[in-house]
Amino acid sequence: MTQQLDQRALMHISEVAVSVELETPEMTLNIGPQHPSTHGVLRLVAHMEGERTYKVEPVIGYMHRGYEKISEVRTYPQITTLINRIDWVAGYANEVPFMVATEKLMEVEVPERAQYIRLILTEMARIASHMVFMASYPLELGAPTPLFFSLRDRERVLDLIELVTGGRFHPNFNRIGGVKPAYGAGPTTRKTIPDLPQSFLPQTKDAMSKVLKTCDELADLALGNEIFQARTKGVGVLPADLAASYGVSGPNLRASGVEFDLRKISDYLPYDHFTFDIPTGSKGDSWDRYRVRLEEIRQSAGIVTQAVDGIPSGSLQAKVPKIIKVPAGEVYVRAENPKGEMGYYIVSDGGLGPYRLKIRSASFSNLSILPWILEGVLVPDIIAILGSLDFVLGDVDR
Amino acid sequence: MTEDDVTEDQVPDADAGADAAEEPEVAPDPPADYAQQVAEVLRGEATSDFGTVKVRIPADRWVETAETARDELGLGFFSWLSAVDWANEVEVGDPPSETVDERYEVLCQVSDTSEGRLVILSTDIGKDEPSLPSLVGVYPGANWHEREAAEMFGISFEGHPNLVQLYLPGGFEGHPLRKSFPLLTREVKPWPGTVDVEGMPSEENVEAGDAEESE
Repeated sequence: MTQQLDQRALMHISEVAVSVELETPEMTLNIGPQHPSTHGVLRLVAHMEGERTYKVEPVIGYMHRGYEKISEVRTYPQITTLINRIDWVAGYANEVPFMVATEKLMEVEVPERAQYIRLILTEMARIASHMVFMASYPLELGAPTPLFFSLRDRERVLDLIELVTGGRFHPNFNRIGGVKPAYGAGPTTRKTIPDLPQSFLPQTKDAMSKVLKTCDELADLALGNEIFQARTKGVGVLPADLAASYGVSGPNLRASGVEFDLRKISDYLPYDHFTFDIPTGSKGDSWDRYRVRLEEIRQSAGIVTQAVDGIPSGSLQAKVPKIIKVPAGEVYVRAENPKGEMGYYIVSDGGLGPYRLKIRSASFSNLSILPWILEGVLVPDIIAILGSLDFVLGDVDR
Repeated sequence: MTEDDVTEDQVPDADAGADAAEEPEVAPDPPADYAQQVAEVLRGEATSDFGTVKVRIPADRWVETAETARDELGLGFFSWLSAVDWANEVEVGDPPSETVDERYEVLCQVSDTSEGRLVILSTDIGKDEPSLPSLVGVYPGANWHEREAAEMFGISFEGHPNLVQLYLPGGFEGHPLRKSFPLLTREVKPWPGTVDVEGMPSEENVEAGDAEESE
């Protein structure tokens, strides 16, 4: 008797019949500079055998703007307008170590109120940067929903930064010796210099409590999701000593189990007045990197709340001469930026601008492990690992 | 504070070790102490101006010193490697105020991940055919930093596996961060340097109708 073939089974007949070893050709896949998941203009030349890579070469330099060369023909106040564009996601955080380095060379003491304001804005920049990570990383893995929650809260933080500095991404709010002694743009014509906007401190506390609630929502959405767990657990494991020898810093290093946070060690801002934990991971995979950043948002919100409660009164800027001439010397100041360790090495000759400014950017070193970490992974894992490193091309290329 | 009046007569000079508990203590200076310790281990001269520990070593001991720093001082975190072009005639910016020896000073910053101790290793290499052994065998992270220094300054790192250009497009001629490399925009409008930089308008000057004296 003839067997009636089930129509639905016809589709699968070819899969059933052919079960030979598939010859997978070698291929060079260009994950090109224009790609939604490469966080900017990063080009990965992936040499692959079938679905698995055996060698990945990153090609960078599409965003190289020549910061170090430009800085040699700029005065110190002019440089501060440029450097917040290095890591444009957390704009304010880039300015602070440079200012602290210049102030160290000039031996200027920053008033405490200005230091607290710098700290509050730096932590808000950290929240803003991590919120971008919370938005974009699940999106790359195929989960679009956390984006709406985290960007909503990021808007709250950016509105606060704009309220006090006038700019969302590129505040240019620091001055040598403190912060800008007035809100708004341009020189003030009033004799009494206004301080922070009146509503800033209460609104900040309110925003931080909302950020904490959103962190719980994000933890549910992403961390509780089975598919997210399957795509990130065990993917892109980075051993701790290898990470250190490559210069990987920030949440990536902490996710590998190294409890090292420059906020507890370096004295560029008064972090020793506040209590906060250093979240660390255990295995160093992408799952840990996500969890560490989520926990860091919570800690930052806590620091901001403590700072707002304890902010001292005082002046906003120390007395500095009108034309800034920094005495000769060399200094290196590093800070815990959201992406990692950022440092400025200033070689000063006593002039209006530095003789040499070396910018140590976090994402450059974070990205340098790509040839190691992307060896022998599947193509979807490339995206998962790339996103979990949380870099920004402006930071890589400077 | 009354105890100090009693002890002041008895303390002859500042470095009497046994009576240290009763005299006004000289504040401990961690960067300077650490700089001394580092200088002994690495056999170089260390300075700690502005809290930055910098050790100068000769170029022939470059790799060996990096290994010692990693193994004996526990500085396993490689932060950055770059160079400074010391030149007396410059195409961009201001020339140095005092005459300097023309050289490339290669700097490598390493630190540790437990206490955050930081050391900048520094060595000098000459400007004709500048080259230095590569640190890739000691710190794998030096790979990209040395590529950047090679293309920006023209320093060749011996033993580097892949010394190709990192940032600049293929076919780019010249080494941008050398002081002899001009900036095109500054060819058109030269760097004013110390000549004319206006100060910020002060409050008094901007007030209308305020009879403030000008300098």
